[in-house]
Formats: sequence, C-alpha cells, structure tokens
Amino acid sequence: MSIVITDLTVRYGDKVVLDDISLDIADGKWTCLVGPNGAGKTTFLKVLLGMAPYSGSIQDQGVEVFKSHHRNVAFVPQHPQIPQGMTVAEYVMLGRSKRDGWGNESLTSRSYVHKVLTETHLFGMQNNLVAQLSGGEMQRALIARALAQEPELILLDEPTSALDLHHQISVLNNIELLKDGGVTVISTMHDLTLAAMFAERIVVLQGGKILLSGDSQQVIHSPELKRAYDNRIDVYTLDSGRPVVVASKDRDN
Amino acid sequence: MSTEHGAIARIWNWRITAFCALILFLVALAAVSFGPISISFIKVFKTLFDLPGGSTGLDRTVIMQLRLPRVVLGILVGSALATSGAVYQTVFHNPLADPYLLGAASGAGLGATIAITSTHHNLAGALPIFAFAGGVLAVLTSFFISGKFFADPNSLLLSGIAVGSFATAIQTYLQQRHSAALRPVYSWILGDLTNANWSVVAWSSIYIAIALIVLFMVAKQLDGLMLSDEEAYSLGINPKKLRIIAVAAATLATATAVSASGLIGFVGIVVPHLVRGLTHRVTNRSLITIAMAGAAFLVLADLGARTLLSPAELPIGVITAFVGAPFFLVVLRNRRKVSQ
Repeated sequence: MSIVITDLTVRYGDKVVLDDISLDIADGKWTCLVGPNGAGKTTFLKVLLGMAPYSGSIQDQGVEVFKSHHRNVAFVPQHPQIPQGMTVAEYVMLGRSKRDGWGNESLTSRSYVHKVLTETHLFGMQNNLVAQLSGGEMQRALIARALAQEPELILLDEPTSALDLHHQISVLNNIELLKDGGVTVISTMHDLTLAAMFAERIVVLQGGKILLSGDSQQVIHSPELKRAYDNRIDVYTLDSGRPVVVASKDRDN
Repeated sequence: MSTEHGAIARIWNWRITAFCALILFLVALAAVSFGPISISFIKVFKTLFDLPGGSTGLDRTVIMQLRLPRVVLGILVGSALATSGAVYQTVFHNPLADPYLLGAASGAGLGATIAITSTHHNLAGALPIFAFAGGVLAVLTSFFISGKFFADPNSLLLSGIAVGSFATAIQTYLQQRHSAALRPVYSWILGDLTNANWSVVAWSSIYIAIALIVLFMVAKQLDGLMLSDEEAYSLGINPKKLRIIAVAAATLATATAVSASGLIGFVGIVVPHLVRGLTHRVTNRSLITIAMAGAAFLVLADLGARTLLSPAELPIGVITAFVGAPFFLVVLRNRRKVSQ
C-alpha cells in the first residue's frame, strides 16, 4: 500500500493550515511528522484519515481517500474521549466493529482481542474500566484497539506524549512490531531523538509547508532542521552513532 | 467474566436478553390476569393463545378488549422510552440525558394543551396528533437552531433546552387563559395508559417498531459514538450521520410514546442505568434488553397504578418515580463499589 499526496491544501476558514504539500509515503515504513506546534501535523493525520475536506489529491492505493469507505485505517489520538463505564475488553473489541456485524462477536474476534491484549500486556486487566487506567495503560489500550483493527495503515498523534521514558519505549516497540507485520505507520512526534530512533523517514513541517523530508538520519543531521526549530535545538551523536536532539538555550549559536 | 481458552469472554451474554424476555412475558401475563376481576394465569394463557379451555363472555372481553391493549401499549411505550433514553445518553455523552431532552416533552405538552384548550371541541379527539406534531416540531426546531449539531452534539442539547423552555412558556400562558383546562392538561402531563385501545396500539406500534428496528440495527455502532469523532471515523463509523439517524429514530419513538400515553417520567433514565448497572456493561449491545426491561418496568408500574388503590387509579408517573428512584440509587451505589 502506498500513499501519493499531490498539491494538498487544507484551509480552516481563511487560515491555510496545510499549504501545497506533495509527498510520497513509503509502503510498510514508519514515517514521522515533526515540527513545532501549529505546523499542521494533526490536520495532516485527519486528512489522511479521510475526514477533513481538502483540495489537491491524496491517493491511497490509487483511490482518493475521501471517496473510499473501505480503507482500514487505525487512528490513535493524542486526546481520546474516555468512554465512562466501558471496560478494556469492550474498548479493544470496538476495533473489531468493522469486521463483525451487529451483535456478532465472532470467536475469531474474541481470540484476536485476547492476542492483542497479551501483546500489549493488558491481559488480566480486560475487566477494568478504561476510565481508571493510568496514562501508560491507556496508551497501550489505544494501541491494542488499533491492533485489533488489523489495519493497513496506522496513524498516531503524539503516541508518547504524557508517558514516562519507560512507557515511551514500550509503546514505540509495540508500534514497531506492527510495522514489522507489514503495516504502514505515520505518526507525529515532538521528541526528535525518539523519531530518529524508530522512524525510517522524517517529514519536517513548518507553517503548513514541508521544510524537509527524507531518510530520518539525514534529516536529523541536516542544518535545515535547526531552522525549523528557530535554531533552538542542538544535535549530538553518541558513540554508538545514534543522534540525540536536545533543546538549545542560546538562540544565536 | 470467565475466559475461554485463548479468547476473551463475550462482551454481551445473550442469556441476559433471554432472561429479560421471560420476565417481560411473566409480567405481561400477570398484568392481564390481575384487576378488579381476577382471572387465573392458565385461563389467561389459554385465552391469549386461543387454546381450548380459554375464557368466554365477559372475562374474554375484559382480557381482549380492556387489559391486553393496555399491556401491549405499556410494552410499546416502555420499550420506546427506555431505548430512546439509552440512545440519547450515548449520543450526548451524558448519563442524565432522558428522552424528553431535546424539547420533545415540552413540544408535545404544548401540542396537547392547544388541543385541550381549543374552543373547537372536536380538536380534543385529535390530542395525540397535536402532541406528536408538537414534539417532533420542537426537536426539529432545536436541530434547526443549533446548526452546529454536525460538529457538536452539545449545541443541540443547549438549543433543545431553549426550545423546551419556550414551548413551556406558551403552554403556561395558554393554561392561565383557560383555567378549566388546567386539570385535563395536568393529568395528561402525569401520563397514563387509560386510553389504551386497539386503534391506539395499532398506530403507535407502527412508528415505535420502525424506530426501534432502526436503533437495534445501529446499536453496535452506537458504541463508537462514545469516542471522539476521529476515533469513530477510524473504526468505520460516520459519527455525524449515525448521530442524526440515532436521534431521529429515538425522537420518533419518544414522540409516539408521548402522544399515546402522555409524559411518563423516569423510565428513560432509570431502566438503561438499571440494565447497565446490573450487568456491568455499558455497551449498546444491551439495547434490546433495555427495551424489554423498559417494557416490563412500565407494564408492572401500570399494574400497580390500577390495582394499588383499586378502583381508583394512580398516575403511572407517580409509580415509576416512587419505585424507580430508590431502586436506581441502590444500583448506582453497587456500581460504584464494583468500579472502585
């Protein structure tokens, strides 16, 4: 599956949120959208989901996304609406709604949910209320629901925000497993170090335009990247060769 | 919840639905049997299913022309109100939402008041039509004013409240102008099933059946409306379209119930929470069970209304609140204990 974006423009009223974007999303790879707040990252995800109006073209396997009702795209939001009174099992089972018809809880689906709950270390908590999960558990529940969809494409909005370092890595490892299974991953992320560590490709957005895109290692070392962040970041390379991005205090270095 | 090997347990256990169906059947049988003339269960059963040994003469007339239509209307109204309540609660993310939320009650109240206070006496017979039209018009007005409903269900809720207050104001004005109408309007507002006959059952069953079939068909998808619109969308649900279908069907059911039996309170809030509290399941897979529980609850309440102070009749709304409220509190308390 591949996504070809040509001259994509999104407006909210008079405001241009995404401005004339053209981009090919690599099949079966992890593409990470980075950029300062307000750069249009979340809007980009909504457009890829097929629910926001746009001009230009986004072809997913040759079909325009807003016309296609048969795409199987999972979405992991940054701020999910927590359904009161719903258990983890019910929540993850929602991921199967498209596959099972009304009132139908196929054994396949119940086995699949069992499998994803085990993979996300939520098994044993399936009767707990979603509203009472911790931040890390909630994020895993969201990933589990996305996994239950058996999607071809997964969109994640800041999957690691609000998580401690341990949980950040565990959630990203889960996403990586999904990618290894052949799913195309597109995420937004504020943490450039983690983005460079997990994503194969990085797209830098600024003011609704693509400033830079390509192989994640090249992007992270590019001087253009610093410009996107107003020269407020420094990039170091560890002995292992892994890049680390930190905030810079001095603006004019 | 027990776990089958390598699979999670069913989200909804259909034995609960079957159990509720049995309860409803027994309650309905009891309601047809009890009254000023008591008829044995077996006789009633035989009469209903046209088996040899059924009642004849006066008993048969009492069963077939007085009690049965009343029980059937109770089933229709109870299932309509409970299902609509559950649907509104899901759509508006609000556990306190009830079927009368979007102005359906005040609109129907205004319609009924216009029919009752009208100087053309023949209009009184058209009360159900006026109440139905008033309820539907009020909800449509709420839709029209809110405009933003497609984006935000809360704006519909607020315009529903505004339209409701407006309709109530006109209703109060009309009542003040026609003080003779105070009593009939008041008794209509309390709600009752005393007007039940086969023709009322016939027209109300058509609308309620259509509405409930639509709601049962989308029931599983309704769970998606408990999430954000983006999440619902990724699960293959169009939340904007689904909300409109759900609210339209729930409003049709509510307006029909109100025009057939007046404003019977509490069923729409208590019954959904009762079923959810007892089963510890908020999923809308329970919608059919909620419908049957609502039907059983209302038939039982009506049985109480006509037998407790027999031959006098209590308003059914008094019974639903008097029995429902304490029971409801117990369930809420238990639910909190479980979830802690």
